[in-house]
Amino acid sequence: MPRGLWTTTVGSFPKPPELERARNRFAKGEISAEDLERMEREETARCVKMQEEIGLEILVDGELYRGDMTTYFAERMAGYAISNPVRSYGNRYYRKPVAVGAIRRKGAMTVEWWKYAQSLTPKPIKGMLTGPYTMMDWSFNEHYPSREAMAMDLAAAVNEEALALQDAGARYIQIDEPAISVRPEELPLAIRAFGRAVQGLTAKTITHICYGNFDVIYPALLDLPVDQIDLEMANSRYDLLERFRAQPFTKEIGFGVLDVHSHRVETKEEIVDGIRRALEVLPPERIYVDPDCGLKTRTVEESRRKLEVMVAAVREVRAERGITA
Amino acid sequence: MNLITTLAGSYPKLPTEPGAANVRVVRNRIDQGKATAGDLKRAVEESTRRVVALQEAAGIDLPVDGQIAWDDEQTPVASGLEGFAIAGLIRYLDTNTYYREPEITGPVRWRATITVDAFRSAQSLTRRPIKVVLPGPYSLHRFSKDRHYGDPAQALRAIGEALAAESRALEDAGARWLHFEEPWLGRARAEEAPLVRAALEPLLAGRRASTVLHVPFRSPRSVFAVLRELPWTAIGLDLVEAPDGWGLLADVPAGRTVALGLVDARNTRLEDPAAVADEVRRAAAQLPDLSYHLSPTASLEYLPADRAAEKVRVLAEAARLAAQNGGR
Repeated sequence: MPRGLWTTTVGSFPKPPELERARNRFAKGEISAEDLERMEREETARCVKMQEEIGLEILVDGELYRGDMTTYFAERMAGYAISNPVRSYGNRYYRKPVAVGAIRRKGAMTVEWWKYAQSLTPKPIKGMLTGPYTMMDWSFNEHYPSREAMAMDLAAAVNEEALALQDAGARYIQIDEPAISVRPEELPLAIRAFGRAVQGLTAKTITHICYGNFDVIYPALLDLPVDQIDLEMANSRYDLLERFRAQPFTKEIGFGVLDVHSHRVETKEEIVDGIRRALEVLPPERIYVDPDCGLKTRTVEESRRKLEVMVAAVREVRAERGITA
Repeated sequence: MNLITTLAGSYPKLPTEPGAANVRVVRNRIDQGKATAGDLKRAVEESTRRVVALQEAAGIDLPVDGQIAWDDEQTPVASGLEGFAIAGLIRYLDTNTYYREPEITGPVRWRATITVDAFRSAQSLTRRPIKVVLPGPYSLHRFSKDRHYGDPAQALRAIGEALAAESRALEDAGARWLHFEEPWLGRARAEEAPLVRAALEPLLAGRRASTVLHVPFRSPRSVFAVLRELPWTAIGLDLVEAPDGWGLLADVPAGRTVALGLVDARNTRLEDPAAVADEVRRAAAQLPDLSYHLSPTASLEYLPADRAAEKVRVLAEAARLAAQNGGR
């Protein structure tokens, strides 16, 4: 009997309003770091429990203790400062990392959170990191003579963290590279840096990338030394699958079936249809079903409902095709 | 050497001094029901005053208004034209900033002034000419999804004509400089040159104001043979990210202006004003038949407000040094 169509998520879960309030109060000095962490641990436990209740098979810690996906890591590495706010759109701002010296890993950045989340469940928890190319591209650089030099130092730092996660027992390590498609001419650099970041890993490696210029970097992207590439498929109406007919997708796919930018909860039928289409071009053992991207922009309730429909759809297709987990 | 200092694009909206008008805070308060549209209007005016004053104090010859009320570079103008709807957020090229994607849903036409009030308001703050910054027609089209025309040349011509109408209204209101942000000219392929012409010809024909086509991030070398024939006053080049732009200077027709983008708007590292001045002098010595602006490579809003202000000072100081030794 074939196996496959495992269910997972891309990484982030929404922070409940109480946690957002606590983070703001912490920023203003109104509560202590211990108070905030206590709450983050409670919410992480709730998030893991919710994933189990929904029936997901490969879980995440939900990243409820992280703010921005680059700044979180930059704050924990040597060689980085954090800028004053920079606008990303409208009234949204973020503090951007600034390389001011040689970038080095000082110590574990995510390992304790991973251990804590894994202690709560027998299901595997993915280790979740931001990739070296994206860290480089989304930082200011006041130190390095070239983008390459900066990306390669970051790759060494990410590699140390990934190895530490593996030593702690992580069987899945996801290193996200959403910026990988923005400068197609730099794809060889991104691939080289990623190769350094996964050096020595025996755990299954995954990367999430955003759609962007996918047309331009495919199929060269398949040279990325990673087991699984996670792609947003739903919000492009699965049109990438046509591309895969002509130029086969040779890796495992993280197959996004939930539009994370929409409040609308997908119907089971449309997800079933998407998975059936995936099965026309890829065998089930190479398909992992998940949302298009992190869920942090949705509410907790929206996330739960979307994921419940996703799991129901996977169960239906598995039953129909005789596929087991 | 005639060297004029100016900025490109928008400017950080946040103040660097505590307690100053802050549109971010006011917008958050509006969301909480604690502030009104009137409060926002006052905060925008105050912030614009601060941005113009900062440029004046630094000695910027052609200040901009900073686009304090704008969410992104496309939406305010696209939504002011007939024929556009505004759709979802997407990433703005490789900048890790976002914009709402305009969709062309019907014939594009100018119906009423869009930026004239903001221009008048900013111009009232200074005796220096405010340079009005608008999206360029070629890039506005490339940033949009065309659900109406199908034929890009037709769409581009319509957008060019609509922006020409806005330009006329600005000229009637006294605008002497119009600056068009055209990042996509750096990504246009040689075979797209006729489309570039279709967009820019109706816009640039018969302009009373001086015009700048500003191309951040990449050099417009693939379409420069067509660009050089069009009647703009100045071409803005990003000589930090795209140093191959230096190679275009020899093809700029005599008497035109090159806006030398030598202060990096996408990195916090501060340039040495003397080194920037050297580069300006080098250009002026090699091509004395051209005029020059000195500008950042792109919008300074990619930087935090504190660093943007320092970049403005670096730019002004570099211009002063270049003039000192180069005989302005």
